[in-house]
Amino acid sequence: MALPSIRFERRLVPDRRLNSAVSISSILLGLGSTVPLFLVAGVDPVAAFQQVFSVFTTTQGVTEAVTRSIPIILIAVGLCLPFKMGFWNIGGEGQLFMGGVAATLMVLMFPDSPSIIIIPLMILFAFLAGGIWGVIPAFLKARLQVNEVLTTLMMNFIAILWVDFLVYGPWRDPQGYGFPLTVMFPLEARLPMIPGIRIHSGLLIAIASAILVYFVLSFSRWGYEIKVAGQSQSAAKYAGMSYILLTLLAMFLSGGFSGLAGMTLVSGIVMRLRHGISPGYGYTAIIVAWLARLNPIGALVAGLLFGGLLVSGDALQIGLGLAFSTVLVFQGLILLFVVGADVITQYRITVSLR
Amino acid sequence: MTAIDTAFAVSLLAHAIQAGTPLLLATVGEIYSERSGVLNLGLEGIMIMGALTAFLVSFRTGDIALAIVAAAIVGALLSLIHAFLSITLKANQIVSGLAISIFGLGVSGFLGRPLIGQIATKLQSTPIPLLQDIPVLGPILFSGDVLIYFSVIVSLVLWFVLFRTRFGLNIRSVGENPSMADSLGVNVDLTRYVCVLVGGALGGLGGAYLSIVYTPLWIEGMTAGRGWIAIALTIFAVWNPLGAILGAYLFGGVIALQFRLQAIGIGTETPQLLLMLPYFVTIGTLVLMSSATLRKRVGVPAALGNPYVRGE
Repeated sequence: MALPSIRFERRLVPDRRLNSAVSISSILLGLGSTVPLFLVAGVDPVAAFQQVFSVFTTTQGVTEAVTRSIPIILIAVGLCLPFKMGFWNIGGEGQLFMGGVAATLMVLMFPDSPSIIIIPLMILFAFLAGGIWGVIPAFLKARLQVNEVLTTLMMNFIAILWVDFLVYGPWRDPQGYGFPLTVMFPLEARLPMIPGIRIHSGLLIAIASAILVYFVLSFSRWGYEIKVAGQSQSAAKYAGMSYILLTLLAMFLSGGFSGLAGMTLVSGIVMRLRHGISPGYGYTAIIVAWLARLNPIGALVAGLLFGGLLVSGDALQIGLGLAFSTVLVFQGLILLFVVGADVITQYRITVSLR
Repeated sequence: MTAIDTAFAVSLLAHAIQAGTPLLLATVGEIYSERSGVLNLGLEGIMIMGALTAFLVSFRTGDIALAIVAAAIVGALLSLIHAFLSITLKANQIVSGLAISIFGLGVSGFLGRPLIGQIATKLQSTPIPLLQDIPVLGPILFSGDVLIYFSVIVSLVLWFVLFRTRFGLNIRSVGENPSMADSLGVNVDLTRYVCVLVGGALGGLGGAYLSIVYTPLWIEGMTAGRGWIAIALTIFAVWNPLGAILGAYLFGGVIALQFRLQAIGIGTETPQLLLMLPYFVTIGTLVLMSSATLRKRVGVPAALGNPYVRGE
């Protein structure tokens, strides 16, 4: 009897058009697969999807979506670097919180500084703090081969608890009626709005970061080294590159961009530090980076979409009384389809009868 | 030691075993998955879905046995998705596992919303006659519930299967050198599927323990990183179910200690620093183990995380 035999042949050159088609279909399939879940929970799927898409039809919705996408884009752009090396930074969330802490520290230390001084200080120290928080697991991995997925995750929990400690304890606003919040930032320490639209200037930082990382990865020697190191650690060593140094640098930058995301949140949106400044931007960014196939410009586009999805989550919560975690269902399903479909983008599959 | 000291130590250790049981179940399951070469980072999502399922079934039917079985089935089903993606579709196991975790946290939050604040039937403890009367040891080891006993027995059985049976040898060879195993006639894909499903079912049970014994309530995100800690414990255990028993109870001890310190008034003002303890201990453990395994090079399944493609 002839059995069909399936052969997997690794694609040497990625097919760009196929990749985009797969990403787009994954998003549609991921959204579509929630229908049974809505039915189980007794929610009318049509009403639910109306809420989801309503976001993209109003100026207010789009404005909100773009605003929510800023931290996602920043983190996802940074993630392209370590992910290309095969270093799994799941710690964007914690690096974001540490950036928020550092930015807030600047405001608390220099409350009366003019914008021209305090904003750059906040940006610089948020980047440094996130970067250092990212370098620790990189160091542990590079020197001791400690699993980075676990260390970066554990450090997320620690960073979030650290923020809670600060806002419940030493940084609590004495005039805040006991609420766990720091003082409100002075106007000078807030990111200005972009003239004409109701979006803060963190958007410009996010776009600039995406373009910068794109050029670094595509055209610089260092970007080339990262790609080689990702394909083969031994090849990188043979070519005389320091794998350790590359890892540390990639993770410093990735953590730094996440820290920057934290800065844009405290300085552009919340105007203070408090519990829960992020509903999981660090995790959403992982999906975005993967969906964009680690291309920073792709991350910019996918980030905007996922910002919209977060606003859809709010709409589902307010309009239909669903839990906000519905968004996680969308995100998880989309990622499942993307990663499953990678079999088509990574391998050429031939079925033959023998 | 005074009587009060003894009583304190006994209750602390009993709490350590309770806190360690969900970790033990999940860790032993993950060891099977990883021994066969499949890294399952979906454990956090699998555990939380197990927790939700057990609570939901217990709440609706009051049948605690059914609740436990249902949690195991849901855990296995969720891990089946991971198995299909990472074994059949040869997907990136890290990303697939993350997706399962995100999906599980999402679905449990979505479906669990009406259950918040509800009370369901709790699994009662089943002290073992005679043995429970042994001073000190009795109240610690033999006054627990069936899931505690089950978790220990299953760890012992799975240790035996892994290291003393033909099937166990197949599992280990599939995780070490799949192409060699394949050429010797071992069905690589099937072996991996079985191991991942066993792992998922045990992860679901671990989650069930949280919602029907340890904290008999439904709280969104109540696993609080235990799935990730269990993955770290597989490393601590050097992928050996017996090591998992030790690791899970040590960790349960850390959690129990954290509660005791809070109870006697340490860190009541700002409990956040104490709450960080398990995460710091996890990182510390990983660092210690990495240097130890680096030196000895034992345990780590060589093909862990790599999809198997015949002829590649």
